[in-house]
Amino acid sequence: MKRSNIALILVIVALAGGLVFGQGQAYSPLGINLTGYWIQLGRQQDAALGTAAGDLVDFGGVPLSEAGRLSALAWSASRLLLPQHQCIGYIPPYVFYAPGYFRIGEIRDPYTQELTAVHMRPYAAMPDRYFWMDDRPEPPAYDQHTWTGFSKAKYEGNRLSVYTTHIKEGHIRANGMDQSSEAEVSEHFIRHGDRITYFSVIYDPVYLDEPFPRSLSLFNVPNDPNSWTMPCDDAELSGDLPKDHVAHYDWGAHPFLRETADKVQVPLVGELGGPATMYPEFAAKAKDPNFVAATEKALVAPVPGQPIARKVPDSTPHDSQIHVLPVRDGVYMLVGDGANIVVQVGTEGAIVVDTGTGALADKVIAEVKKLSKMPIQFIYNTSFHADHVGGNVKVKLAGRDPEANGGNLRATAGAGSTATILSHVNTVARLEALQDVPANAWPTDTFAETRRRKLHNGEGVELFWEPNAATDGDAIVHFRRADVIVTGDIFNTTQYPFIDVKNGGSVQGEIKALNDLLDRTVSFRQEGGTLIIPGHGRLSNEWEITLYRDMMVLVRDRVQAMINKGATLQQVQAARVSADYDPEFGSNSGSWTTAMFIEAVYNSLKNPPAKTAGN
Amino acid sequence: MRRVAFFIIFGLTISLTPFKTDAQQRGGGRGGAPQPPATAKAGAPIDLTGYWVSVVTEDWRYRMFTPRKGDYQGLPLNQAARQIADAWDPAKDETAGDQCKSYGAANIMRVPERIHITWQDDQTMKIETDAGMQTRLLYFGNPEGQGGTWQGVSKASWDDDAGFGVKNELFDRAFGSVGGRPKASSMKIVTTKLKPGYIRRNGVPYSANAVVTEYFDQVKERNGDTYLIITTTVEDPTYFTMPYYTSSNFRKLANATGWNPSPCASR
Repeated sequence: MKRSNIALILVIVALAGGLVFGQGQAYSPLGINLTGYWIQLGRQQDAALGTAAGDLVDFGGVPLSEAGRLSALAWSASRLLLPQHQCIGYIPPYVFYAPGYFRIGEIRDPYTQELTAVHMRPYAAMPDRYFWMDDRPEPPAYDQHTWTGFSKAKYEGNRLSVYTTHIKEGHIRANGMDQSSEAEVSEHFIRHGDRITYFSVIYDPVYLDEPFPRSLSLFNVPNDPNSWTMPCDDAELSGDLPKDHVAHYDWGAHPFLRETADKVQVPLVGELGGPATMYPEFAAKAKDPNFVAATEKALVAPVPGQPIARKVPDSTPHDSQIHVLPVRDGVYMLVGDGANIVVQVGTEGAIVVDTGTGALADKVIAEVKKLSKMPIQFIYNTSFHADHVGGNVKVKLAGRDPEANGGNLRATAGAGSTATILSHVNTVARLEALQDVPANAWPTDTFAETRRRKLHNGEGVELFWEPNAATDGDAIVHFRRADVIVTGDIFNTTQYPFIDVKNGGSVQGEIKALNDLLDRTVSFRQEGGTLIIPGHGRLSNEWEITLYRDMMVLVRDRVQAMINKGATLQQVQAARVSADYDPEFGSNSGSWTTAMFIEAVYNSLKNPPAKTAGN
Repeated sequence: MRRVAFFIIFGLTISLTPFKTDAQQRGGGRGGAPQPPATAKAGAPIDLTGYWVSVVTEDWRYRMFTPRKGDYQGLPLNQAARQIADAWDPAKDETAGDQCKSYGAANIMRVPERIHITWQDDQTMKIETDAGMQTRLLYFGNPEGQGGTWQGVSKASWDDDAGFGVKNELFDRAFGSVGGRPKASSMKIVTTKLKPGYIRRNGVPYSANAVVTEYFDQVKERNGDTYLIITTTVEDPTYFTMPYYTSSNFRKLANATGWNPSPCASR
């Protein structure tokens, strides 16, 4: 082709391109180009953080809430010996403070070439992250949280602005100062030449009293550093420690409380953090000895008074509708009618785990019919509590169990014409003792030993009895092919475990049950792998169980320590021993309050449960 | 002849394309090339005016309190700078009337403070600080003054090369906004001719040769908060082994509440 012709084509392409893009078409966002390799250069700003960890009790300039500070003060580095803590992932914005490179690229629709996402791969312990640019809907509140979270993004002037929800609990600094699973994060990547100023704001109703803004710089790296994987696997570090041991410090007895403050000659009242420490006036306040003395003392232990109630909205919709969340390989989570309901479908009849309160049973049945052409064959009850068995009758009558219509069972009137309800034998006993539960809601197939198993819909399904946890008849259900475990009320993301001491529940059994769950989970960096469906709240996995187990151990140890000193129940309740967890799980009203939870822990420690059948 | 044709046509491409693209991008419409704003104030892509409070969340222990003598962690100092820092004597500074050494342009935006940003005139932005009661004048036109002061001489511009590693005039002229050139949304300030001061309050020096480059960016959050993010590079061939990079944040305030003018403090 002649050069003049080539030039002519260039002209046409240039003019056409200019007209198209100049009119603001969405083919390519009129924004900045962040693609390439980046690194947080050197250790200049915030060099004192070292490898993003910071020192012990180094919380200055972080707007910690009481719960955030107390949680951090309870943290001991020895906790890292536990296998579930060794390889945890990094979350935004912490990941940017960790050493290592970042690779940023684009994901485009192969057909339209529209920008679908900006992709980021960090070296450090975080999976690939996607900043979605395509207006896809945010996952529901009851969907699982991940290390990366769910990020929506848009270009604004010379920056990419990102907003992330659904993030797991993780580090603000790796010195015990955490960002809760309820936190949301706003991020702005502002490019100036070969430098990105990364500005983030953490919004955390649990561990922070104010938004936490901060910034750092990333610098462009011209060549691929070829350093994109960070290995980590369980190490056997915990030795002979019992499974119910979680290292922690008692409030007011932190052995290294003043170490950092003394080393850098900064007042401890500052290093304890809080919103005031972010603002100019704080330096003058910290010079006032009266302020220092009074404030320091108040910051290292719970403030006396009423417990703080949960500060985060319920992840369960209350719109009188049943919401279906596909979990994995034929397993679904149905949300909206009390306890979570789980459905397993396949070529055989459906298995339904728990039936909710029953208020929306017709809608539950309708949703199951959409998922399965086959009738409901089995109902498994994880508990006898009303919000787990309320729909038993309707769901049972909507189903059919051909297996119950064979052999000798054929002679039984109506055999196989309904679904079969199965539970631990203690659950049946508890239901039978209730006056307001009709007999046809009772399970008719029971087990009394530790394990019940079934191969159904081509999948191994196991039920495990967890004695004396929330009650004396709790069962967990493990769908082995899908690798999904249904926990019943042993684990919730919305409240403290409903330990029903009168019906055989105990803190000892609860902790054992949580550790049993952890013995069954497999994950990489405490996510992926085994999925966990809680009795109430959002889809989870190993990390959430780990944190719940840790919480139960810490509360148990604190209550036990006070019992050992002769404290009464009222004294224990007044001490606010769960103050670091109350904004996430606590309640001062309703059917399960923080005071009732502490009472359950106290009573089960004062009067440990007797062994029940099969225990 | 063919070669001549090639260059004529390519030249036409370069000269004509911006007429279409930049005009549309910058709001010129189809009626012709846009007229540049008459003044810096009129052309401001962001409104920085108002009261702001620093949110001290980076380098907290070094900014909120005066660090110990000799604590220069994170600063890229050469041996000469370390010797000066190790000999820091705040009483000597006070005697010499040099209490404001850490309030110079290289460090003033790192000081915990409130700032008040206004337009002094159509071409000059003014930043006043309550801490140390300093005034910075940022000149979009020709800078005034000879420097040699704590705040030196600051040349300001609305940054229009954000987002690009290398400014490429040829590409600009040929393709205008094609490929994503963003509209300017930052203020760039280059400050020189400084009176020597401290980059950290505990006597860590910067010299009269220091050049301070700053970008002012503004972000608005979902909760209504507005933040000013100042990206700073201090280059000092006298005392630094490499540029010193920081970023500082301010949150916008509704009014002057909390404004507390106070003199410079050397310790």
